[in-house]
Amino acid sequence: MYRYDEFDAAFVKARTDQFADQVMRRLAGELSEDQFRPLRLMNGLYLQLHAYMLRIAVPYGTMSAKQLRMLAHIARTYDRGYGHFTTRQNIQFNWPKLRDIPPILADLASVEMHAIQTSGNCIRNITTDQFAGAAADEIIDPRPVAEILRQWSSLHPEFSYLPRKFKIAMTGATHDRAAIRFHDIGLQAATNATGDIGWQVWVGGGLGRTPIIGKEISPFVPHEHLLAYLESILRVYNRYGRRDNKYKARIKILVHEEGIDTIRAQVDEEFAAVKGGVLTLPQAELDRITAYFAPPEFDRINETRVDVAREKIVNPAYGRWLERNLNAHRQPGYVSVTISLKPIGGAPGDATDAQMDVVAGLAERYSHDELRVTHEQNLVLPHVKITDLAALYAVLVENGLAEGNAGQITDMIACPGLDFCALANARSIPIAQEISKRFGAPERQAEIGDLKIKISGCINACGHHHVGHIGILGVEKKGTELYQITVGGDATETASIGNILGPGFVAEAVPDAIERLVDTYLAARTTPAETFLMAYRRLGDAPFKEALYGAD
Amino acid sequence: MEILTGNELMSGATVYLDRAGQWVEDLQQARTFGAEEAEARDTALARTKATGRINSIEIETVKRVGDTIVPDRIRERIRAEGPTAPRFDRQHLDEDGHVSI
Repeated sequence: MYRYDEFDAAFVKARTDQFADQVMRRLAGELSEDQFRPLRLMNGLYLQLHAYMLRIAVPYGTMSAKQLRMLAHIARTYDRGYGHFTTRQNIQFNWPKLRDIPPILADLASVEMHAIQTSGNCIRNITTDQFAGAAADEIIDPRPVAEILRQWSSLHPEFSYLPRKFKIAMTGATHDRAAIRFHDIGLQAATNATGDIGWQVWVGGGLGRTPIIGKEISPFVPHEHLLAYLESILRVYNRYGRRDNKYKARIKILVHEEGIDTIRAQVDEEFAAVKGGVLTLPQAELDRITAYFAPPEFDRINETRVDVAREKIVNPAYGRWLERNLNAHRQPGYVSVTISLKPIGGAPGDATDAQMDVVAGLAERYSHDELRVTHEQNLVLPHVKITDLAALYAVLVENGLAEGNAGQITDMIACPGLDFCALANARSIPIAQEISKRFGAPERQAEIGDLKIKISGCINACGHHHVGHIGILGVEKKGTELYQITVGGDATETASIGNILGPGFVAEAVPDAIERLVDTYLAARTTPAETFLMAYRRLGDAPFKEALYGAD
Repeated sequence: MEILTGNELMSGATVYLDRAGQWVEDLQQARTFGAEEAEARDTALARTKATGRINSIEIETVKRVGDTIVPDRIRERIRAEGPTAPRFDRQHLDEDGHVSI
């Protein structure tokens, strides 16, 4: 993991002290709310429905045990004993009081964490593949470049007041687990004709009220010129992005309205001017940062496979967990383990302070002190020996963290919705809970296979509903919460935006509607290997529309 | 009819303007403004803004059902009671959080 140098530590401390002073001035009446609001947002502090909400950055979703323990401490000491992991691989606390924010930020700084740029019209936390540095299908570990981008984008003087917020995601693997095509900029590791590794660059993707799949702006940018290239994109956006209408201010609208060829030409012109200048990344600096992410010293393990079939007979729950929650590791004898934060009937993405302490202990004991937050609101232990899996699982069972449902219908993304969020129009969490209970039986989930449901409580789409295989969007109509269902979304390299099939449903009718879609799929699939998404792409809207609304 | 609501500065808690000009936690203590009381409502709103102690002030429409004040919007019913899932008690004012205008 990256460790702060003296500059980083001094920078975060100065920022923490500065915000503590701003809080004191607000409480003393020296700052009005209009003056204070942009200052608190720059430090991740929102005012939501019931209380303040503090969003803390987890850079590229990577944490140490010590850092997770500090989050547990904050949950216990200043909040209500839990935290909510988000689709930006961050964590949010829903109940802090204003006077407690300075000590919270000081506690965070003591473990090299902060809340800077988790809000505002700036470059937000850069997200990446949760299996980065571990996945067997990885071309390159994206985290060193993600760290360099973090340093470049932190308080960047040109890009602190962009037309709108700006999100970057990157993946070092061919299989996109980071939804890069739905980001302002998406970066995918690529190889050029001479075998060099660099980055394929996508631009103008996004969700929200105008969902758009990003477009390729460059097939290959070498590491050394990546900062210059991204700076060129940001400059074009900063210059031409709309500031007159916040709903049209994201770069996706600029790319859509001007066309990718026009934007590419402008970026190339800018790039020609800055390429080879101060933003050129020296190999020595890349090597220095990469050294922080050197793989741990793995043991040589004789046992290199898990007999899942045998375990499913001996201990079905353990067998199911093995089948669903492990990801292939580059090192023989190791796997990455997904710790599901989707207990049946629970609130997606929530973890208690006690659970965070337990996971921190497991990371120390079994995963070389590393853990990750996923954009699908789970946690990951990236480097676990397969010989440790049984012991690890036993601890997860004791602490309510052993749900073997990764990638299944109950592994839903859900935004906080109208229960917490000041922007939401409808509740998300209770919808997720009811669907989870309806499909909670392990046999039913196994029969259905891979199926991603994503739920948002408003059109801003924090719950990524557009890219759910089944998406659910909550709206309010005449005082009633209604839920619009979309089908066919996909956040991966085969990206697609879900289709709206018809009018919305009241909350009580949503689980039945989802069940009709699932039953239609099960009846129509050619084999169990044909997933919901594959079946939808073969069959189209018609059978699913009929399942929801009946025949015309 | 209408009420005035907002979030108290220190705690962020949901609060309502009551008949005595205090900002209190209990929706049922809220002062209701009839259609003919727009001037009084706007005066109270302006005085509150001047204190800087209540944020996100909004005018909400409500009904009286018997002796109970019921907000028209679901959002306001959730603000008054706390989140429905997971169920949590609403935020409360600190000891020094009471605000008079």
